Amino acid sequence: MTLALFLQSAVGGVLLGGMYGLLAMGLSLSWGLLKLVNLSHFALAFLGAYLTYQFGTVYGVPAYLSVLVIVPLFFALGVALHSVFVRFQVKEFASLLVTFGVTILIESLIQWIWSADFLRYETPYAQTTIRLGPIFVPVLDLSAFVCAGVLAGAAWYALNKTMLGKALRAAAHDAPVASAFGINSARVSYILAGLCSATAGIAGVFIALIGTLAPSQIEAWIGVVFAVAIIGGLGSPIGALGAGMLIGVAESLTMSVVNPAWAPLVAFSVLIVILLRKPVI
Amino acid sequence: MKKLLITAPIVAVLALLPYLGMADYYLSYLYIIFFWVVLATSWGILSGYTGYWSFGHAAFFGIGVYTTATLATQLSWPFVATIPAAALLAAAIAVLIGLVVFRSGTLRGEFFALLTLSVTFVVAAIVSNTSLDSGTGVFLSGIEIPMIGVTASGSLYMFGLIAVLASLATSYFIFHSKFGQGLLAIHDDEDVAEVKGVPTFRYKLISFAVSSALAGGMGAIHAVYVGYVTVGETFAVTVPLYVVLMSILGGARHWAGPAIGAVIITVLQSAIVSGAHAEFGRAGVALALIVVILVLPSGIVPSLIRSFAGRRGGIGAPETAAQAGTQLAPLAAAGSDPVLLKCENVTKSFGGIRALTGVTLDVWRGEILALVGPNGSGKSTLINMISGHYAMTSGTITLEGEEISGRSPHLIAQQGVARTYQIPRLFDNLTVLENVQLCAKFGSADGMGAAAVDAVTREALAFTGLAGKAGVLPAALNLHDRKFVEFARALAAKPRLLLLDEVLCGLNPAEVDHAVEMIKRIKAGGTTIIFVEHLMRAVVALADRVAVLDQGKVLALGHPSETMRDPAVVSVYFGGQ
Amino acid sequence: MLLEVDKIEVGYGDAIALWDLSIGVKPGEIVSVVGPNGAGKSTLVNAIAGILRPHKGKIVIEGNDVSKVPSHRVCDYGIAVVPEGRRLFTMMTVLDNLLLGAYRSVARTERDATLAEVFQLFPILKERQDSLAGSLSGGQQQMVAIGRGLMAKPRVLLMDEPSLGLSPLIVGEMFKIIQMINERGVAVLLVEQNVNKALEIAHQAYVIEQGRVTASGAPEVLINDPSIREAYLGI
Repeated sequence: MTLALFLQSAVGGVLLGGMYGLLAMGLSLSWGLLKLVNLSHFALAFLGAYLTYQFGTVYGVPAYLSVLVIVPLFFALGVALHSVFVRFQVKEFASLLVTFGVTILIESLIQWIWSADFLRYETPYAQTTIRLGPIFVPVLDLSAFVCAGVLAGAAWYALNKTMLGKALRAAAHDAPVASAFGINSARVSYILAGLCSATAGIAGVFIALIGTLAPSQIEAWIGVVFAVAIIGGLGSPIGALGAGMLIGVAESLTMSVVNPAWAPLVAFSVLIVILLRKPVI
Repeated sequence: MKKLLITAPIVAVLALLPYLGMADYYLSYLYIIFFWVVLATSWGILSGYTGYWSFGHAAFFGIGVYTTATLATQLSWPFVATIPAAALLAAAIAVLIGLVVFRSGTLRGEFFALLTLSVTFVVAAIVSNTSLDSGTGVFLSGIEIPMIGVTASGSLYMFGLIAVLASLATSYFIFHSKFGQGLLAIHDDEDVAEVKGVPTFRYKLISFAVSSALAGGMGAIHAVYVGYVTVGETFAVTVPLYVVLMSILGGARHWAGPAIGAVIITVLQSAIVSGAHAEFGRAGVALALIVVILVLPSGIVPSLIRSFAGRRGGIGAPETAAQAGTQLAPLAAAGSDPVLLKCENVTKSFGGIRALTGVTLDVWRGEILALVGPNGSGKSTLINMISGHYAMTSGTITLEGEEISGRSPHLIAQQGVARTYQIPRLFDNLTVLENVQLCAKFGSADGMGAAAVDAVTREALAFTGLAGKAGVLPAALNLHDRKFVEFARALAAKPRLLLLDEVLCGLNPAEVDHAVEMIKRIKAGGTTIIFVEHLMRAVVALADRVAVLDQGKVLALGHPSETMRDPAVVSVYFGGQ
Repeated sequence: MLLEVDKIEVGYGDAIALWDLSIGVKPGEIVSVVGPNGAGKSTLVNAIAGILRPHKGKIVIEGNDVSKVPSHRVCDYGIAVVPEGRRLFTMMTVLDNLLLGAYRSVARTERDATLAEVFQLFPILKERQDSLAGSLSGGQQQMVAIGRGLMAKPRVLLMDEPSLGLSPLIVGEMFKIIQMINERGVAVLLVEQNVNKALEIAHQAYVIEQGRVTASGAPEVLINDPSIREAYLGI
C-alpha cells in the first residue's frame, strides 16, 4: 500500500461521502425535524437519476439543465407526499411503512418504464479527472461533493440564521409553545418536506452522472445512508455530510486495504458501536 | 377439543393429497401458499405480538437458505439434518442482535425496523463475499430429499405442510399462553408491562428467537425447492414487504391473521399477475400496503372478530361489591416486622439536577402514608424509584428486609409492589378483564394456577365495581372507570405495598368520595399504601401519617393534623413573608 | 376589561380540569391566581394562551373572542405566555429564544427596540446571549422565558409558576421584576403556588380549587380567608 494509493483511496472516500451526505441530508432533516421517516427518499433520488438519464439520452438535455426541471418537480412531489401524511395524520412509524410502500411503487414504476437492465448515462465529461499531485480526482465526483457541501452549508445557514429555520427548529422541539408565539408549524413543515425531496432529486442527478442505474440499486443505498443520517445526528445537515465523509473514507479504505466486498459492513458496524454506547435515540 | 375435531380432518386431507395423485403443479402452488403462511406467521410472532416491527425477516430466512446450501453441498449433510441447524443458527443470530438492541428497554419502533432492514444487507454482504455463495449462487438440485410425498414435488410439499403446521401451532399456543399475553402487553405499553411483572427483556428475546427459527427452517426447505439460490433473490426486499403487508391485512395481533393475509395475497397475486411483469405484482402489493396503513391499520381479522364475537358484557354474577376482598389479601403472610418499606438515604440525580437528596423514610405495615409537597419536590420521583422505574443514584430501598433497589421493575412487582399511574395507562387492546387478569398472572413470583388467577380477577373486578364492564375496551371507558381499572390491576397482583400516584386528579367530588372509600377498603384488606396527592382534604381524611417533601428532601413526617400546622411546612406552601 | 375568561370548561379528553371558570384582568393590573397543585392553574394558562381550547365558555381579549381562533393566531391578540417549567428552546441560543418570541409580525417590526429593553431589564442575558439556553441556571432560564414573553409585545403576560424550582433569594428578585414589567404597562396574569408573594404584589386575586374559583377579591382581604389555608393544608 503506497502513500499515493492510500491518499487516492482516502480522497475517493471523501468524495463518496459527499454522495452519502447528499442523500442522508434529506432523510436526516425529515426524521429529525418533521419526525417522519421518509424511506422513499432513496427511490425519489433514483427517479431523479432516471429522469436525468432520460432527458440526457433521449432529449439531449444536459444534466445542469435537467436540474432546473427536477428541483421544482420534486419539491412539488415532496409537498404532495407530506399532504398525504397530514391528511391521514400519519405518525412516525406509520410514515416508515407508507414510504416503504412508496419506495416499492417508484421502483416498480422505474422498472416498468426503463426495465431492470443496467443503464449508463454517458457524458463527455464522465471520464474527466483533475490531477492533484499523485492523485486523480474525477470531476463529476468532485462536483457532487461540492454540491453536497453547498447544500449542507445552505441548509445549515437556513436553519440557524433565518427566522424561518429557527421557527422550524423551535416547532420541532416544542410545537405547542412555538405555536403560542405564532409559529404555524404546519406551514413550515410543508416547505421542509418539499426541500428534502428536492435534495433527493439533486442527488439523483449526480447518481445518473456518476454511477450505473438499475432498480435493484436503490436498496443498496438504504442501509448506509440510514446509518449516516443517525451517526451524523438527526436534523443536522452538516452532521450528515460529516458522517457521510467518515463512512465514505472508512469504506474506501476497507475496499483497498481489506477486500472490496466487505465495504457494506463498515457503516453497519459503526452504527452498532454507536448503539452500544448510546442505546436509545 | 372442538378445534382439534375441525382441524384434524383438514390436516389429514392435506397430508394425503400427494398420495391421491394430485398433480405436481397444484402441489407446488399449495407449497407457495404454505411458504408465505410460514413466513408471515413467524413474523407475526415477534412483530405482530410485541409491536417491534422487523424489516429483516429476509435475513433469517436467508440464513436458513444458506445454512442448508452450505451444509448440504459443501459438507454433505443430509437434507433433513440441515433443517434444525438452519433454524438454530437463525435463532442464535437473532438472540445476539436482540441482546444488543433490546437491552435498552424501549427502542423506538422505526429504529428497530430500519436496523433489521440493515441486518439483511449485512448478512447478504457476508454471504456474498465469502465462500458461502461467492457471488455465483449455489446449486442444490443434486441434493437428495426423503421421498415422503411420492414425488420430489410432493415431498417438498409435505415438508412445507409440516412447516406450516409447526408455525401455526406455535403461533396458536403462544397466543393462548401466559407468554403470549405478556407479549401483547409489551405491544400496548412496555413500561407498564414491565412494572406489572412481565419480564420484558427475556420475552422479547424469546419471541425474536422463535420467529427467526421458523423463518430459518422455512429457508432450509425453500433452498431445496428452488434448487438454485442466489443472494439477490434470497435477500430481496420482496420478503419483508410481502410479509408486512400480509400480516397487516390479516391482522398482525392475531395468531391466524398473518396466515389469512398470506393466503389472500398469494391467491390474488397468482390470479391477477402473469410472470412477465413481476413488478406489477410488487407494485400492487406496495400500493395495497399504503392503502391499508392509511385506511385500515388494524387489519381485517380483528375487525371481523370484534363484530362477530361481540366483546361486551360482564362476566357473570358479580359478587357483592361491599364485601372486602377476601381473595385479595396480600400474598406474603403478614410478618412481624412493623416496618414494611425502608428508604435509606435515597438520592436521585437526572444529569445535573438533584431530584431527591438523602431521603430516609420508614413505611409502617398496614398504614396509609401520604406524600405531599409543592411541585417539583420529588414525590413522583420517589414513587418511581420504589417501583423500579428509575435507577438509584445512591441509597437503598428494602422491602421487609429484602433489598429492592437496583432490581428490574418486573422483579420488584413480583415481590409485592404494585402501582397506579396518575394518567391511567391501560393496555388499550385488552379488555378490562384481560387487563386485570394479566396483572394477576404476572404479579407474583411463584405464579398462580389458572383457577386462582380467575378467582383473583373476579374478586378484583367486583371490589372495584367493574364486573359489569369486564368485556369493555379501555377506549370506551370514562376517566373514573379507567382509574378504577388501574386499582383493579394493582389489587390483582395482591401486593404488600400499593403506590398510588395522584389517583384523585381529574375526578369530580362524587367520584373523589367513591375513590376515597375504595382506598379505605383496600387498607382494611391488609395492604400498605403510599399515596401521592394534592387534594389535601383527602389526605387529611385518609392518611395515618403524612410526609412533606420539599426540593427533594423530607421536610416533615407525622400525623396530618400536626404536620400540616408545622410552621416550616406552612411556609413551604405559602412562601416566605 | 382587558382579558375576560367567561365560564370556561377545559379538559384533556374526558378529564375535565376547569369547570365554569370566570376571571378578569383589567388594563395595567397584576392578577394573581393561587391554589394547590392539581387545581387547574396551568390548564387555565394554557387555555388562555391557545395551547388548549375550551369546550365551553369564552375567552375575550379587548373585545375579541379568541376561544375558537387557531392556536398560532392567539398571540396576535396580545397574549404572551411564560410557561410552567420555562419550556425554552433549549438547543437554541438565548438570543434565538428571544428573537423567536417576536415571531409574530406586529412584534417583529419593533424587535430591536424590544430586545434592547429586555437586555436592560436582564443584563445577564445580554452577556450570555450566544450561550445555549439549556446551559443557563434555573433563575437565568426563567429570565429568558420572561424575556421571550416580553418580546411578543403582549398586552397581557401570562406567567405560570415563575418561582418554581428557584432558590428563595432569586424568588424575591423574580417578583420585583414582575412588578417592574407591570409598571411599564403590561398587565400580568400570575399563577402561583407561593401564596404570600403572589398576593403581595397583586391588585386582584382568585383562589382556584379542583377546577373552580372558590374565592376572589382584594389580596389583603383574601390572605386571611380560611379557605386558602384549607385548600393548601387541609386543615
